[in-house]
Amino acid sequence: MGTNPRKENDSDKPKNETGKKKVQKLKAKNMEETLKRIEEAEAAADSSKIHRSFRVPTIVMMKYGSLSEDGGSVSESGSDQSKLSEDEDVVQSSDGDNPTGACDEDNDHSSGDGVIEADDGDNYHGEDSHGESDDSREVVEESDSSEDEVAPRNTVGNVPLEWYKDEEHIGYDLAGKKIKKKERQSKLDSFLASVDDSKNWRKIYDEYNDEEVELTKDETKLIGRLLKGKAPHADFDPYAPYVDWFKWDGAKHPISNAPEPKKTFHSFKVLRYVRAIRKGLIKFDDKPKEESRLYALWDDSSSAERQGLAYIPAPKPKLPGVLAIRSQFINIDPESLKPKLPSRKDLKPYPTTCYLEYKGHKGPVMTISTEPTGQWIASGSKDGTVRIWEVETGRCLRIWDLGENIDQVAWNPLPELPMLAVAAGHDVFILNTRCGSDEQQKKIEELLHVEPQMATEDSGQYDWGQDDRHGGIRLKHFKTVTKVEWHRKGDYLSTLMPSDILFRAMNALIGSVCSIRESRSVLIHQLSKRLTQRIPFKTKGIPVSTAFHPTRSIFFTATKKDVRVYDLLKQKLIKKLEAGVREISSIAIHPGGDNAIVGSRDGKLCWFDMDLSSRPYRVLRCHPKDITGVAYHRSYPLFASCSDDCTTYVFHGMVYSDLNQNPLIVPLEILRGHSRVMDCKFHPRQPWLFTAGADSLIKLYCH
Amino acid sequence: MDIDENGGAGDVSSRQVQVRFVTKLKPPYKVPQASISIPANLTRFGLSALVNNLLQAANEDWNAEPFDFLIDGELVRMSLEEFLLAKGISAEKVLEIEYFKAVAPRKEEEPSLHDDWVSAVDGSNDGYILTGCYDGFGRIWRAAGICTHELDGHSGPVTSVCNVMPKAAESSIDQIVATASKDRTLRLWKFGVEESLDQPKKIRAFKILRGHTAAVQSIAAEPSGDMVCSGSWDCSVNLWNINASDSDGGLVSVKKRRKGGEDEEPQSEGEALTTLVGHTQCVSSVVWPQRGTIYSASWDHSVRRWDVETGKDSLNIFCGKAINCLDIGGESSALIAAGGSDPVIRIWDPRKPGTLSPIFQFSSHNSWISSCKWHRKSWFHLVSASYDGKVMLWDLRTAWPLAVIDTHKDKVLSADWWKHDSVISGGADSKLRISSGISVQ
Repeated sequence: MGTNPRKENDSDKPKNETGKKKVQKLKAKNMEETLKRIEEAEAAADSSKIHRSFRVPTIVMMKYGSLSEDGGSVSESGSDQSKLSEDEDVVQSSDGDNPTGACDEDNDHSSGDGVIEADDGDNYHGEDSHGESDDSREVVEESDSSEDEVAPRNTVGNVPLEWYKDEEHIGYDLAGKKIKKKERQSKLDSFLASVDDSKNWRKIYDEYNDEEVELTKDETKLIGRLLKGKAPHADFDPYAPYVDWFKWDGAKHPISNAPEPKKTFHSFKVLRYVRAIRKGLIKFDDKPKEESRLYALWDDSSSAERQGLAYIPAPKPKLPGVLAIRSQFINIDPESLKPKLPSRKDLKPYPTTCYLEYKGHKGPVMTISTEPTGQWIASGSKDGTVRIWEVETGRCLRIWDLGENIDQVAWNPLPELPMLAVAAGHDVFILNTRCGSDEQQKKIEELLHVEPQMATEDSGQYDWGQDDRHGGIRLKHFKTVTKVEWHRKGDYLSTLMPSDILFRAMNALIGSVCSIRESRSVLIHQLSKRLTQRIPFKTKGIPVSTAFHPTRSIFFTATKKDVRVYDLLKQKLIKKLEAGVREISSIAIHPGGDNAIVGSRDGKLCWFDMDLSSRPYRVLRCHPKDITGVAYHRSYPLFASCSDDCTTYVFHGMVYSDLNQNPLIVPLEILRGHSRVMDCKFHPRQPWLFTAGADSLIKLYCH
Repeated sequence: MDIDENGGAGDVSSRQVQVRFVTKLKPPYKVPQASISIPANLTRFGLSALVNNLLQAANEDWNAEPFDFLIDGELVRMSLEEFLLAKGISAEKVLEIEYFKAVAPRKEEEPSLHDDWVSAVDGSNDGYILTGCYDGFGRIWRAAGICTHELDGHSGPVTSVCNVMPKAAESSIDQIVATASKDRTLRLWKFGVEESLDQPKKIRAFKILRGHTAAVQSIAAEPSGDMVCSGSWDCSVNLWNINASDSDGGLVSVKKRRKGGEDEEPQSEGEALTTLVGHTQCVSSVVWPQRGTIYSASWDHSVRRWDVETGKDSLNIFCGKAINCLDIGGESSALIAAGGSDPVIRIWDPRKPGTLSPIFQFSSHNSWISSCKWHRKSWFHLVSASYDGKVMLWDLRTAWPLAVIDTHKDKVLSADWWKHDSVISGGADSKLRISSGISVQ
């Protein structure tokens, strides 16, 4: 809208000059165009007052004449606006020393271009009231508006006036003629003139056009109102009564003018989108459309599209994977997470190398036992022989051929009674090794001498008989004995017949009463009195191994599932150790008595701290196959496990007297060399380990 | 000369060293003192051939003899060039090489067969060899295969034997020997050397020393021959008085025993004078090198020196391994050599202040050391026996064994020097083997 008046104005300028008529014609055309637009604009302007107040001044001026028929407030306001715009222009062009106070006198145009003055004249109201329009008026109006642009004469444009300071002219008019500078009055004359002229305060010098402009009374008033921040026109009523254009009848509910809350909009829209997506109305075309990667290189049409190098996207940064996350969050050296174990070097001595072999057995060596002083060892083999070996030289000192599979040999723990208990088949032999001195021999012979009648007097099932061929006692059992264990005092020994349980089960199937035989699988024999008794408590499950406590009268029975600890004096169960392994195969008690190791058929080695818990303190999964034997060293902090997988593991197992300190377990050495290791025992005094193999050898590993 | 020509030929390829051969050997073994130039890449074998050639040049019917060479107190065990480099000896000067006959057995005697394992040998008397056997007999061998006496009486394997008066060997008619056995006793025997019989004569002990409560492992006699000491599985070292000369003086009990109508023999029994207590495990070896000092080695990993007068141990060397054998000898009879439950022979010098770590360690064996003995004359030579079936000769001046005797088919249980030029050894193959012709300076 703003452009139209300018055009008109441009065309309107040469009023005084030549070509007025042409311009007027042009003007008339333009006016018609603009009228239409104004009408539209008016409609728009009505919609908001704000618009109105700002826009109207420039618009309505043009309506001035043509819309006079509309009459009423619109035209009035339009004239007001035109006034305003005039004033503004004047203000802009003048130097701002203009009057601020109210001016009483009417305006009289003294100088300047006639048109303007005539326009600015008193006939404002007349115009309004008449509403007439003629050419002159139009011209007047035009000139009015044209004065907005201030440059009716000078066409130099927006250049610094200093450029013309030294020239005689101040610029050029439309026709290109120079506009001469006016003759300047001397300062004195002008001062005197100003003093004389009472209207002088209303005069403004227009430097650009080199002329003086005198403001009218209305103009000064208007300026005064503007300066006060009021509506420029005096007739404009900012508090006009509100005209409600909306038709309320029929509307049941009041229509809120408040904007819709963002929340509802959001959820509503989102819901709609979600539904649309679900229904498949909206499809995401994530994949970029494939452009054929091949193109005619020399094709003109395509070359217009593709200029320069093909776009090569930068490689995408790698998404953070598991490793990145780990490195981000767990920035710990894995070595530092390992438990701080002492070095193996510091834990010497322990068995490492095999130096001695004890050769002689013809079959797999099933069991070995060391003499308490460490001078001899005894071994039992599947070839039916029991042998005694000299430790230091590997010489076989004595052989007993018992003719049965030897399951267990055990030296009497008393050094002064070098006797050997042997479990062979259904029998338990107590043999005199003849290793002791003469007095010891006598004592042993006395011990091992069984009166024939005594044997008959004894309970029929356990036959204490003399065995002259082997020089010892033969204890007949009715089932295969697998374990023989001496009590530490060397008088009692326990025997284990696991098959008795099966026997009982068989009996139970048949239906016979078998409660008497309940715990006959474990028997305790007293050598000095030739007594045999069952353990005075019930056992559950099939016992696989037994052990005496090294210092107290406590008895351990290992069944396949757990280890039961009995007090022999109080005759009751003290504790049950849950190994949590498939099948227990062997057990060894720490010489201190508070710890035990249990080997299992699934290759696990469980260390129990019996003060700590009935669950294993440590479970060592070291063997891939059955563990066949476990052993503690009597004095060194060592323990070992041997297995069917041909290896024997040696561990450091330190038990501290301080109850707060848990046992320290360090794996030390893997000993190899056997085909299958059936048993292992430590030398009682040296850090040496004897292992019995299925290759009918016994090996001694030294430190 | 051939060698010189050879040397000239080798000149192109290798460096030359100016050497002069010196020796302490007697004249037929002496070579001219002049310095000669030899190739630097010669080894001991080359040097030996060179010396033999030199000797042959002087003496027409010279039989080649292996020599060993000593430079700056170290035996040459590599090429001369490497040796000089390793020792930082200048090759510019005239090098003085001392040579002596190589210490190696030149002759292997016929093995002397036993009925069982030979557990102990003693060659301290030049006139005979004393052996102990697992069958319970001690035996006296005049030479290889010639057994003169059988010492009959022990009921268990003999574990250790010793000559009680080796110094008085030549003069006396009656020799006294002592044996220790696993039957917990020590026995003293007397026999005449010069009796030569077709059949070995069985003799009985004139004295039985009882007191140990477990197998006796080792026995040693005082140099003067008045006392013996013994180490046993009962962890003690017992001292015994012999009193061979004065008959039955302070004896506790006297038995007269008649056996099969043979000559009746007085058999006396004795008790221990003193017991040296301190070891905590089997005392596996005792040595009595000087009048007042006893050395003992034990399975409790220690070597102790006992003062006989006070009965206290004045030195305690901790070894870390169970020790099986011990001997005192070497430089001024002060070095301790011991071997045990590992393949290392350790040699300590107790005179060395401040430290108790071994000064030499020889570890060419593969199994336990069962025996080690110093040469009685030489300060440098040792013989050792091991369960790996080998007997090795050692010189302190080199880390490699001088010679390895591996004629035994099984464990060697004992070894000793005999007559200063032979090594005798007995083992689990029930044989006594004599390797003779060892020339130790």
